[in-house]
Amino acid sequence: MTADTTSRNTPDRMDLPVGREPFHRMLVPLAIACFAGAFVTDLIYWQSVAVMWEMFSDWLLTAGMIIAGFAIIAFVIDVVGGKQIRLLTWPRAVGYVLAVLLSLVNTFVHTRDGYTAVVPTGLTLSTLVVVILLFTAWVDWALVTRRRVGAGT
Amino acid sequence: MKHVVTIAQSVKRPCLVLVAFAGLGLVGCNYDGGDPKVEIGANPQLPKLQQYLIPPIQIARVVGWGKETPTVPRGLQVHALATGFEHPRSLYVLPNGDVLVVETNGPKAPIHRPKDLVTPWVMWLAGAKAKGGNRITLLRDTKGDGIPDVRTVFLDHLNSPFGVVLVGNDLYVANTDAIIRYPYQEGQTSITAPGTKLTDLPGGPIDHHWTKALLASPDGSKLYVGVGSNSNITENGIQAEYERAAIWEVDRESGAHRIFASGLRNPTGLAWEPETRKLWAIVNERDEIGPDLVPDYLTSVRDGAFYGWPYSYYGQHLDPRVQPQRPDLVATAIAPDYALSSHVAPLGVAMYASTGLPATYRGGAFVSEHGSWDRTPLSGYKVVFVPFTGGQPSGPAQDVVTGFLNENNHARGRPVGLAVDRTGGLLIADDVGDTVWRVSSDSPRSASTN
Repeated sequence: MTADTTSRNTPDRMDLPVGREPFHRMLVPLAIACFAGAFVTDLIYWQSVAVMWEMFSDWLLTAGMIIAGFAIIAFVIDVVGGKQIRLLTWPRAVGYVLAVLLSLVNTFVHTRDGYTAVVPTGLTLSTLVVVILLFTAWVDWALVTRRRVGAGT
Repeated sequence: MKHVVTIAQSVKRPCLVLVAFAGLGLVGCNYDGGDPKVEIGANPQLPKLQQYLIPPIQIARVVGWGKETPTVPRGLQVHALATGFEHPRSLYVLPNGDVLVVETNGPKAPIHRPKDLVTPWVMWLAGAKAKGGNRITLLRDTKGDGIPDVRTVFLDHLNSPFGVVLVGNDLYVANTDAIIRYPYQEGQTSITAPGTKLTDLPGGPIDHHWTKALLASPDGSKLYVGVGSNSNITENGIQAEYERAAIWEVDRESGAHRIFASGLRNPTGLAWEPETRKLWAIVNERDEIGPDLVPDYLTSVRDGAFYGWPYSYYGQHLDPRVQPQRPDLVATAIAPDYALSSHVAPLGVAMYASTGLPATYRGGAFVSEHGSWDRTPLSGYKVVFVPFTGGQPSGPAQDVVTGFLNENNHARGRPVGLAVDRTGGLLIADDVGDTVWRVSSDSPRSASTN
């Protein structure tokens, strides 16, 4: 009861119109976390040769691909639905597409049985994906910062 | 001709892109297998190992037999001994001529990887997912006309049984996780007495290769057990392979065992060579390194020998998928005697020393090839005969029972266990057609000698 009156009188974040944030942007970090996780578990497998870590990589890559799939669908819906796609800079678009395609190949490489599911191709691909994502983030940050600085002056 | 070349190029180009894309080699594009015949015999030609990006799957869709039967060469005839089984996998003939049909399938496989979610669908399409009866059915032909007139449930409520052997009045059944002994009197059509466990065998929770082939030594003092590996190539960890991929020798009195031979990935059938009295085995080799690797084989089994799995194949050919490697073991690995060709999946062997079939089949091994599921074009799906001279294979394998695939490469059935019945007929369990076939001589003269 009191909560109702409070929110009516002093609007907080909950009262802001929902759905302004594009839905795909909530999924992207999850997919990135999965791919980064697979890189870590690949590294541990390479060093330990314990199959558990290779299994973790398999599931992380598969989960990452499924989430990325949903993110792409959500992105299309967001665009079609006329949501403002803020800050989708070209390096980010290119970086994400590359990361997803390489991870798709990596998911298949990881279906192999035994050591060569990870070493050398799988580990190389998961490293490459992490490097691409870091580079993307850096370029993107640099671009956005410059634009903001430019807009401010 | 030009057309063909264009198509070939257009197929090749995306592959090249894929190779470039993957950045590193190991992505083979030529997925089609060569002539299986070059991999039959003592010196198979082994191609270079290749690794896939997408695991190859080519399965024969199941259509069943309808009114058709398998095809046999001149001099032989084939008919259905009995039908309507639940996934019949192996056969055993009792001294009084009764035929035991083991109706069985593997236990449910656990899901360890995303790949394990796909495998059951593939197996279902290939008709390999059918529920096994977990029982043994007895067939008796009292009139001697080749048609059994007694059919009873001989033993029920078993646990993925496969091997059966009778020593005196002790009947041994190799479930997937234990050898169980039952009392048997000649003429009995069902056993209700509870069994006694002789020994545990490597079973769950993974139990990748679940069949346990069983054979008794000629003097009856030992039992030999074919125990398959727990993986394709140690992807479940080397710990899961403890005492697997081996042939066990079990003492029949005490149940104690030792490893008779090791490095045999999946020894699915055991038999005594009648001339030299040596132990022979059929073995299913590893997958996913090419359509023409690694040939499955038929080999004599030497006491204490190591046949390579998982570290190497056909002697010292290293498998890079196994880490850490064991050069010390690889140095001792011996090559098997006789290659049957890759992915044919031999699941039944019968040394033939009887007289019921034409003379060309006296002295040699019948081998049933269940058929490939990961190779293009399909291979196996037939029963072959490997002639023997002086206790050694002495020629190329000949097709004997074919027609398990129809002209569209659909499976009418798939041959599994083999046995020779009392009158010398060759019995074949067909786990997709749910039938037991009997191959006999078509000349009335040899039939009358029965």
